[in-house]
Amino acid sequence: MLIAGKFCAALILGAALIFPLSARAGSCCGGGSGTALLLPSYYTSMIDMSVDVEKYNGLWNTRGEYIAQPGYHLWQYRLNLGLAQRLSPRWQTSIMVPYVWNYNGYPNSASRSNGIGDTTVNVWYEAVDDKSAWKIRSLKDMVPSVTIGASLLVPTGISPYDDVTSSFDITGRGFYRLDGNILISKTVNPWTTALSLAYGTYIERSVNREYGKYVEPYQKQLGDRASASLSLGYIYYIGTGGDKLTGTGSFSYLREADTTYNGVREPNSGFRKESFGASLAYASTDHDWSARLSWNHAVRQDGWGDNFPTTDIYTVGVSYGFR
Amino acid sequence: MDSAKKYVIIALLVMVAGCGGMMDDLSPSGSDKRPAVIAGTTGPLVGQNAPDFTLTDTLGGSVTLSTSITTPGVRGAVLYFTMWCPICDTHMSNMLTYILPNYPDVRFFLVDYVSGSVAEAANAQLVNGYWGSGFTVLADVNQSVLNLYQATMGSTVVIDRTGVVRMNEDYKDGTRLQTVLAGLP
Repeated sequence: MLIAGKFCAALILGAALIFPLSARAGSCCGGGSGTALLLPSYYTSMIDMSVDVEKYNGLWNTRGEYIAQPGYHLWQYRLNLGLAQRLSPRWQTSIMVPYVWNYNGYPNSASRSNGIGDTTVNVWYEAVDDKSAWKIRSLKDMVPSVTIGASLLVPTGISPYDDVTSSFDITGRGFYRLDGNILISKTVNPWTTALSLAYGTYIERSVNREYGKYVEPYQKQLGDRASASLSLGYIYYIGTGGDKLTGTGSFSYLREADTTYNGVREPNSGFRKESFGASLAYASTDHDWSARLSWNHAVRQDGWGDNFPTTDIYTVGVSYGFR
Repeated sequence: MDSAKKYVIIALLVMVAGCGGMMDDLSPSGSDKRPAVIAGTTGPLVGQNAPDFTLTDTLGGSVTLSTSITTPGVRGAVLYFTMWCPICDTHMSNMLTYILPNYPDVRFFLVDYVSGSVAEAANAQLVNGYWGSGFTVLADVNQSVLNLYQATMGSTVVIDRTGVVRMNEDYKDGTRLQTVLAGLP
């Protein structure tokens, strides 16, 4: 999980990738959502490519108890392609498209599948700039950068409602989701911190097929989703040329409310996940290239989640900005 | 490098355009497309005669569907297909709390189709908190019953005592299951 601000933090991290928490890890429960790409202020566009490797380590049940499942070997690999484009000095847009490979190994069977995941389209507005990243002289120098945005999750992935026969083949959740996002970040070299908040609501849809079987049509809506992430990073300057290496630690919280069927709530169908992240990012002197490594870890103990897979997510990514 | 942007755009378009069946989610249909079923045929569809099977439960006993549903006092059976995932736990927990107590004359089976042996299925039942819960866990080691019923994670099948399939769909919130169980003869 990599979190950064829009300005210095985005520069430091190369390209800020907001909330790359997968919806559900492994194909057992869907997943494969993309991320939001954020463009530093002085770039006109940026391309980004990353690979996620997500390893399943068990689950938290509905009572929040962690259950290890040592015989299960579930992996999801995601190749994420992103493109960000500046529309005006303060407005930008981006798109992230993941391609997903699932590997499901159980004691009595194994399967592989692949396909496109759910696509994320974002619009961002840079509301407030962080104008003092080097020295705090007065209170106004403490003003952080504030970026607000909206994201639309487009169900381009393979969902349970497509013509598939097994839950092992799922790469998306099958629902549109509209998110409101806010990103607040502040850098006082060599430290940088960021707070990301997002709230999203899924669009209710009709369902007339489940895993290839036509069923009596009904309306389904996944519960509203709230997420937050707080990060703290340290910037290390390499030599005198301005190359930067930034280490960041973060804590993330994700919660999704209960699903409804024909307007009736299914008790305990929502979920919660709390996780920690660490990342290392390198930005070159001219800052056009950057690379990053990150690790998101879900604590394998009771109380750190409800009704959700417990996973580790490893990410390696590279981006290039156009001035 | 300017051409790189074009390549990325092309790659994104190819990725998105190359995914078959996407329109089902982009523009969902609410039309009822369930196929007509010929009564008396055997198969997994609602209205068909349920395919019979015999599996071993986690206590080591042999369970035959046709025998279970024709036991005096039994009105039918529910098969829930589990891979012990979080969604499965939600469904099983919901069923355990809200449905099982209301239907003592219905047999509730959890069909474990991912464990490699009866012992592994028993262990999964134990660590997931369903030992002694009221469910009978069946070890579908070869996934034969999974295939017979064209099932997957969360598939819920109701079979009445005459052997006819009354429901075969995802669990959802349990409302549909309650309705079907209440209508059993």
